[in-house]
Amino acid sequence: MHHFALTIIGRDRPGIVSQVTEILFRLGCNIADSSCSILGGQFSMILIISHPEYENRESFGDAFTPLEKGNLSVFLRTLMPGGEKRAELAGELCMISVYGADKPGIVYRVSKELGNRQINITDLNTKLVGDESRPVYVMMIEAMLPEGIEVEEVEVWMEALKKEMGVDISVRSIMAVEL
Amino acid sequence: MAVKDVLIYPDPLLKEVCEPIKVFDESAGQLLQDLVDTMVDAGHSVGVAAPQIGDLRRAVVVDVSTSKLGKKQKNHGLICMVNPEILEREGNTVVREGCMSVPEYTGNVSRAERIVVQFINREGQHQVIRSEDFEAIAIQHELDHLDGKLFLDRVSSLKTDLFRRKK
Repeated sequence: MHHFALTIIGRDRPGIVSQVTEILFRLGCNIADSSCSILGGQFSMILIISHPEYENRESFGDAFTPLEKGNLSVFLRTLMPGGEKRAELAGELCMISVYGADKPGIVYRVSKELGNRQINITDLNTKLVGDESRPVYVMMIEAMLPEGIEVEEVEVWMEALKKEMGVDISVRSIMAVEL
Repeated sequence: MAVKDVLIYPDPLLKEVCEPIKVFDESAGQLLQDLVDTMVDAGHSVGVAAPQIGDLRRAVVVDVSTSKLGKKQKNHGLICMVNPEILEREGNTVVREGCMSVPEYTGNVSRAERIVVQFINREGQHQVIRSEDFEAIAIQHELDHLDGKLFLDRVSSLKTDLFRRKK
């Protein structure tokens, strides 16, 4: 079965999810993983979908035209076989909170520290809060620390960045407990 | 000694409300032993409830003393509980929980920080203990199983919800 990544973005309003999922339901698509949220004033949907017969973008025909007419941007990507399967991630999940006066490079500098050390970011959210005269940037990162890297080490790297960028950073292990 | 298979949702037994054990007989003792064996065999598990091994009686075992997090905190070691009941709850904490019966999914669950729980122990005697932190969380999680509740029923926030402003 082929899998596809479907991305839909547009001005937020009630009814987007039902309009999108009705189309998928009528086509006979399955929704596997999905994440939908309001970013700025835009509602954004990212879905991994599958269809027993469809093989590529053309198979969907003009099924998404009504969405585009409703001012939603639709992007469909055909996944390579196996692209729907998540690789097994071993290690300890940690949460990194970064916040401070808004300035360029916050996301880049923090993620570079992690990327350079092959630490996988599993979730990342940023939000601009505070009022216009004093914007505050908030970023939450969930990252999987591979074996051999402890939370304390990450704290040390972040301590340096904290001073350099003048932001606050805290790191903690997420108590994801199997019960 | 018997290690049992841990049932995985959507097994309907996981959504049943369990029956109290009226007579603490040999079969109740056997059930507790099976729960302990299954918990130990699962390696990293800190607790198992009877419905997770397909037995609809009110019994759970909890032991956080070997877990990375639990061993740093005050705990009671292995606790075998029959007909457990939480008498008091205090405080509130959010924990990212996972469950052997719901693989590959974790969620933020709100739990009491400190509890007082009464139960019949392995010796068949009434016991009341005060528990806190990770052990208290584990007990609350396992006791939910006895009422057919999974942590999925208690997820309090999406992970992306963490810094969204409350209006």
